[in-house]
Amino acid sequence: MTTLMINGKQYELDAEDDMPLLWAIRDIAGLTGTKFGCGIGMCGACSIHLDGELVRSCMMPFGAAKDKAITTIEGLASEEGLHPLQQAWIDKDVSQCGYCQPGQIMAAAALLRENPNPSEDEIRTKMTNYCRCGTYLQIFEAVKQAAQLQGEQS
Amino acid sequence: MSTLSNLSMTRRQFLGTAAAGAGVFVLGISLPGCAKVDEQGEGVINAFIGIDENGVVTFQNPFIEMGQGTYTSIPAIMAEELDADMAMLKVVQAPHGPEYRIMFNNTTRFTGGSFSVRSSYMTMRKAGATARAMLIEAAAGTWRVPPGECTTEPGVVIHRESGKKMTYGELAPLAAKLDIPADVPLKDDASFRLIGKPIKRTDNRVKATGEAEFGIDIKADGLLYAAVKQSPVFGGSVQSYDQDAVLKMPGVVAVEEIPNGVAVIADQYWRAKKALEQLPVTFDEGDNADFSSKSYLEKLKAALNESGVRVENVGDADKALSEAAKTIEAVYHAPFLAHQTMEPMNCTALVTKDHCKVWAPNQGADFVAKVAAEITGLKLDAIEVITPFLGGGFGRRFIMDYTAQAVTLAKKLPGKPIKVIWTREEDTQHDHYRPMTAAKYRAGFDAQGNPLAIQITTAGEGPSGRLNPEFLKDPTIDESIFEGGPHQPYAIPNKRAELVNVTVKPVPIGYWRSVGNSQNAFFKESFIDEMAHAAGADPVEFRRNLLTEQPRFKKVLDTAAGMANWKSEAWKDENGIKHAMGVALHESFGSIVAQVAEVAVDDGDIRVVRVWCAVDCGFAVNPAIVKMQMESGIVYGLSAAWSEEITLEKGRVTQSNFHDYPILRPDQMPAVDVEIINSGEPLGGIGEPGTPPIAPAVCNALFKLTGQRVRSLPLSKYTF
Repeated sequence: MTTLMINGKQYELDAEDDMPLLWAIRDIAGLTGTKFGCGIGMCGACSIHLDGELVRSCMMPFGAAKDKAITTIEGLASEEGLHPLQQAWIDKDVSQCGYCQPGQIMAAAALLRENPNPSEDEIRTKMTNYCRCGTYLQIFEAVKQAAQLQGEQS
Repeated sequence: MSTLSNLSMTRRQFLGTAAAGAGVFVLGISLPGCAKVDEQGEGVINAFIGIDENGVVTFQNPFIEMGQGTYTSIPAIMAEELDADMAMLKVVQAPHGPEYRIMFNNTTRFTGGSFSVRSSYMTMRKAGATARAMLIEAAAGTWRVPPGECTTEPGVVIHRESGKKMTYGELAPLAAKLDIPADVPLKDDASFRLIGKPIKRTDNRVKATGEAEFGIDIKADGLLYAAVKQSPVFGGSVQSYDQDAVLKMPGVVAVEEIPNGVAVIADQYWRAKKALEQLPVTFDEGDNADFSSKSYLEKLKAALNESGVRVENVGDADKALSEAAKTIEAVYHAPFLAHQTMEPMNCTALVTKDHCKVWAPNQGADFVAKVAAEITGLKLDAIEVITPFLGGGFGRRFIMDYTAQAVTLAKKLPGKPIKVIWTREEDTQHDHYRPMTAAKYRAGFDAQGNPLAIQITTAGEGPSGRLNPEFLKDPTIDESIFEGGPHQPYAIPNKRAELVNVTVKPVPIGYWRSVGNSQNAFFKESFIDEMAHAAGADPVEFRRNLLTEQPRFKKVLDTAAGMANWKSEAWKDENGIKHAMGVALHESFGSIVAQVAEVAVDDGDIRVVRVWCAVDCGFAVNPAIVKMQMESGIVYGLSAAWSEEITLEKGRVTQSNFHDYPILRPDQMPAVDVEIINSGEPLGGIGEPGTPPIAPAVCNALFKLTGQRVRSLPLSKYTF
């Protein structure tokens, strides 16, 4: 058994060290908001934060995540309510099929932490997650709205 | 109109799926034209609406949500007539069964063909209106007043004179005991609150929090996971495997054969996958190990010189071409394409002695039930189908191969729920592909450059003939391979089109977003552009002149050209980079779409700067969703045009994942403007019609920019 800290909570997980963190989070911890898309770190559906850094969890071995703080989409909201990005995603009706959106939101959260007021060009190039439904323009709009909201709150 | 036995059957199913509380009011209505069927005891009864004591309206949606907005637009149509707010609704997926086969005179039900809204619009309105009438009748009976003195506000029946009120939740148990009225009048369109308005999506919150449950997320007690390896060569089969080599690996429960491959079942998916990778397995490659897409393409091109089955014949195209002052000819082809839904194929099944439960992301619950019944030997009413959200469909999830695998494995391990998950590699290499297609176009002009004739030969095999031959009126004419080429609105006096059927077996083919329109619009609208060029005319003006008798098409074209502030010539921007516009116009699924694409080429790199899109879908039931679907269709078509291609060598697919099957990235995304034309014509579809015009619009712009005519896709094969 290995202990992982996910969204501020301790999980005792039975997994081999080489198991990608993605499957430990989904199948063992039961947090299925993080999605499997490609398994080669390209599509970004599995995006999570590891000690605050954006990582693609399908490429991160479970063993390398010990003693680190993991945040998934389920842990993004706070006690005060939804994360500004989640609210923006709802306000802008971003999601279509919705499968890639948890990963998109996690990627956007990392982007805004690094750059609280990104230009559209920066959003376009820093957000590298795929969306097969083609919601990219709504994603750009929602990131801009969340950046503005965060700016007003701080 | 209702029959009690059918109603009770409906009610049982409804309660089973909706998990509704006691006192739920279930509305079952017969549809017009079904009375005769009812008398035969095979009643086609719809049961869409349940209302619990708190006034929560559970809506059984016959259509699945795969991004296209059915969980918003369909219930909104019903709620308009019921007089309910969207916030009162709980949208769930209807189970399989005849009650929900509301399409094509109550013969079928599936989600695809851009049919959901247009095929159910009146049914949904009637369902809502009938329920509202029954709630009013229940209130009127309670108050002992004539129903005509009562009206509703969202969720409440009101007696106008006295001001008495009862909620739908209070009235539902009373309404459930009433006979179902026939021919309830519908609302005046002018009083719509929801229909025609940009209603927010009902699924946007759960999809932003990670709570939305997809098939791959299904949880069940004692869940086991299966990783599968299918024969790399189509038509091949498992020859041998050595299960003893992996059975002792951690968590491995069993190794089992599936129809065209082998599966490892374990307590965790990763353990199943790892064991599968180490499982020694030999495939019998069968008879198809020499198939290559390159040689198939040569076969298609050769077939273009044969005469085929005539599918269109107006005037005398041969004569007109022989007498023409000028003729042009072009051969086009389009590659195999994969669907690449973001959620890979998966399915969970649990089989017991007398029951089978299947959790399947699918585009037709009846298809799932049929496959499960065939495999288990159980009757259809012993099959329970749960349809979660789909992480994309695009036509892929009509095919039940992944469902059959899960049920096959679950039957071998009864009592244990088994979730089959395909890797992206399996998904890419075992799709049911958009078929490769080739076409030859010829046109003739008079001395003034007026088009006299167009002749089209298409070669290939369509998915309908392979998958649903019963749909074909003539077995030699499969429209799904040539649709979108012939039968165009342009006024060309002589037209002939032929189809040469060239089977692509063993390659699995299927319905890809917009089906045959996706490749044939590229051929046709590229060729119309070639014709304009040959005639020395501006591409918009050339099309306009051929549409004088087609005001609807002309308006859509003019709208897109106007939005774009159409430029006939290429230009340079402030950085000296050359830009140009291209146009395409195409009707599919009952909707007409025109797109203008602005494209720039900088040092060989293509950039699609902006797309202007005009759509006439008759009437936009939810304009926000129509706009999103146009954008979505554009991205899907642009992605394919840009870089998507499946090739086969030695009977197997060459590509395996996003590194060699690249899909459109955020940094490639153009700006998109959409304008909707509410023409008042019959409702058209919206999920697919945005896809076909984008490839030719972009390629026509590229011709203007570079002088290079793109006659095959993807663009990534070209150097500009």
